[in-house]
Amino acid sequence: MTKELEHNFVTDLEKHQNIVHKVCRLYTNNQNAHNDLFQEISIQLWRAYPRFRGEAKFSTWMYRVAINTAITLYRKSKRRVQTQDFDTVLYKIESTSYDDTEEEQLRIMYKAIKRLSDIDKALVFLYLEDKNYKDIAETMGISEVNARVKMNRVKSKLQKILNP
Amino acid sequence: MDQLELLKKDWKKQEADLPTLSYDELSKIIHKKSSSIVKWIFIISVLEFALPFLTLLFPSYRDMSMSSYEKLGLTNFINILYIAVYIIVVGFIFLFYKNYRSISTNSNPKILMHNIIKTRRIVKYYIWFNLALVPIIGGVAFYKLFNSADFLEKVPTDINMTMLWLLSIFILLILVGLVWLFYRLLYGILLNRLKANYNELVGNGNGNL
Repeated sequence: MTKELEHNFVTDLEKHQNIVHKVCRLYTNNQNAHNDLFQEISIQLWRAYPRFRGEAKFSTWMYRVAINTAITLYRKSKRRVQTQDFDTVLYKIESTSYDDTEEEQLRIMYKAIKRLSDIDKALVFLYLEDKNYKDIAETMGISEVNARVKMNRVKSKLQKILNP
Repeated sequence: MDQLELLKKDWKKQEADLPTLSYDELSKIIHKKSSSIVKWIFIISVLEFALPFLTLLFPSYRDMSMSSYEKLGLTNFINILYIAVYIIVVGFIFLFYKNYRSISTNSNPKILMHNIIKTRRIVKYYIWFNLALVPIIGGVAFYKLFNSADFLEKVPTDINMTMLWLLSIFILLILVGLVWLFYRLLYGILLNRLKANYNELVGNGNGNL
């Protein structure tokens, strides 16, 4: 692969790296696993880049490859020792901007999302990223109706976890 | 759902807390080694394809089995079978390569998972094909052996042929069973999570993919 292609890719990756970090945040529980998954997604993005023809936006394409890697290609997270509670690192909520009830609600919500299946996590992730059902359906390879049904199921699952 | 909307707002705010890697750090990362299951699937599959041919590397083993077949008058049968096997194996390798090439992270997760499962399925059929050869060759060899005059002379009179056949079938079944167990384990380690995710995504409870 040419130097120019690599330069373009790394520049785009640098610009949109937050997408990859957010996927890692959802699918891992500690900093080591986060770094590991980030590395694997970056490698997969780089490998797939020559076949990315710019039909979609770079960021849209990144969502797909990142989710693919997290739910399909990556297996190492379970083998990692969870040495650091990721909640305290990345989900730190500043007490000044939240009241106790809201803070507690968010904490429980993040914990609840961590307990969802790989597929449900991907749906929630795309929802949190403000994607509409058409985009969610396209990214996941399912019909729009199916995406709505699945998302409604996820919402009730979360509701159940929040109010057992 | 109010809580999910609340979370959406918070999710956006947290972007500021995300780590940021520099251009140089990212340049290094993309050249590191992948630990993707597709890499492992490829390595294991190539080994599986090569395994039945490894015996050819040991001339003494090859000559020994060929001389046993000669004694039983099975040379022609084995030669024809080998030609058929080679043709079928080439077909398997072609199908494997074609499916392996179709695995791309540019596809959506449903197609990607389907293609990985399809590629592994080719190798699974290849293994079953090899396993099917065991009772075919074994059955014919046992049949010839049990009907050869040399063998019949050595067999004690109190042992009947039914017992010998049952014992032979038992040995063959144990052999096939061991390989089957090994594969259940290997598939379990490699593909269980992927299959579960695929079934959940396509919305069927069918685990036999």
